[in-house]
Amino acid sequence: MKRLIPLFALCIGLPAAAQTPQLILESLVAKAGPASAARGEQLYRAKSKAGKTADSCAACHTDNPKAVGQHVKTFKAIDPLAPVAQKDRFTDPAKVEKWFKRNCQEVLDRPCTPQEKADFTAYMISVK
Amino acid sequence: MNDYGITWKHLASLFLAVVATALVIERAPASDEAIFPMPAGKTYVNECGGCHTAFAPGLLPARSWRRMMAELANHFGEDASLDEPQHLAILKDLESLAADGPQANMRMRRISAAIPANAAPQRIIETGYFKYMHDEVPRHIWQRKKIGTPGNCVACHIRANEGRYGEREVRIPPP
Ligand code: HEC
Ligand code: HEC
Ligand code: HEC
Repeated sequence: MKRLIPLFALCIGLPAAAQTPQLILESLVAKAGPASAARGEQLYRAKSKAGKTADSCAACHTDNPKAVGQHVKTFKAIDPLAPVAQKDRFTDPAKVEKWFKRNCQEVLDRPCTPQEKADFTAYMISVK
Repeated sequence: MNDYGITWKHLASLFLAVVATALVIERAPASDEAIFPMPAGKTYVNECGGCHTAFAPGLLPARSWRRMMAELANHFGEDASLDEPQHLAILKDLESLAADGPQANMRMRRISAAIPANAAPQRIIETGYFKYMHDEVPRHIWQRKKIGTPGNCVACHIRANEGRYGEREVRIPPP
């Protein structure tokens, strides 16, 4: 019975709004325009002068979105961002929104626009 | 086999019994193993374990956590603020599982006893307990690429996010 409890907890704990990267991209595109993976890649790699401790998304997520990253300040290993390498990426809209908010502020010192979020997500999905 | 009626079968089952007992002893956590209680559910690990190890609440006293939770918008230079319901739930867990909390075990009480009552340290790595436990780790080890800082507990304590810091679960990453 003890072994079943975590199992139940897991079922109940599943986010009600679990989604696919494609669905998340579609809802972002609905708020912006058609997404461009190429523009998303630029955003991923671009060096920003506004960054407080990290000058780009790649600073923590590495040049390769399929690779394990590392937080520039805490050195914690960060799972890859590309869904092809890390299945649970871009499946929880609230999580995606939370980290866009934090990380865009961190690197660009401003929130990302809906267009930037759509482009970035399209790039991550396009990584094969 | 002989007159006492001991057969190979007997010996084999005796052997198996000894092996089984040894396995049980090996697996049972020694009562003094460094295991800290963690908040139930996933909220704590999700919200406080994204940027770094989800530190066990028992590593600091409640007054440290209260201060930290009141200053989350400027948390070591980061914005770690939370929604109201999550904020309340996490604060409650931190308080009840803190080093000086109601259910604190011996190890946690030792941690809190070593912190002056008028201090509310924000860094675990600056507490006397942390320094004492790691005084044999040479400086160059902390600088290994996969570790970087003593605060990166999970780099060496592979089950730190479950509150497990026992010596059998330490794996120091190679250079
Ligand atoms: C200071 C380090 C750091 C920088 C710089 C950074 N990130 Fe992140 N990012 C993280 C961490 C930590 C997580 C969450 C940890 C985890 O889920 O493994 C994360 C997660 C994310 C996620 C969540 C994906 C999902 O579905 O799980 C997105 C989206 C994201 N980052 C986008 C960005 C963008 C866009 C930039 C650049 C503007 C950026 N990040 C720069 C550290 C960083
Ligand atoms: C947005 C990223 C982020 C989030 C989310 C976050 N932290 Fe931190 N935390 C940091 C950074 C950065 C440091 C400082 C790392 C350094 O300089 O060594 C830190 C340091 C700490 C330390 C001190 C560790 C030490 O001994 O050096 C504690 C304790 C801590 N955080 C607890 C929490 C708790 C509790 C939460 C959840 C309410 C949380 N953190 C959420 C980024 C974050
Ligand atoms: C360099 C890798 C490394 C890092 C990073 C690290 N530790 Fe340790 N830790 C060790 C080693 C080695 C020991 C000693 C193991 C032993 O012999 O008991 C230890 C011992 C401990 C113990 C005592 C274990 C026991 O059996 O009594 C605790 C508790 C502990 N560490 C907590 C932490 C916390 C909390 C952090 C992060 C803030 C951390 N450690 C970061 C390597 C590390």
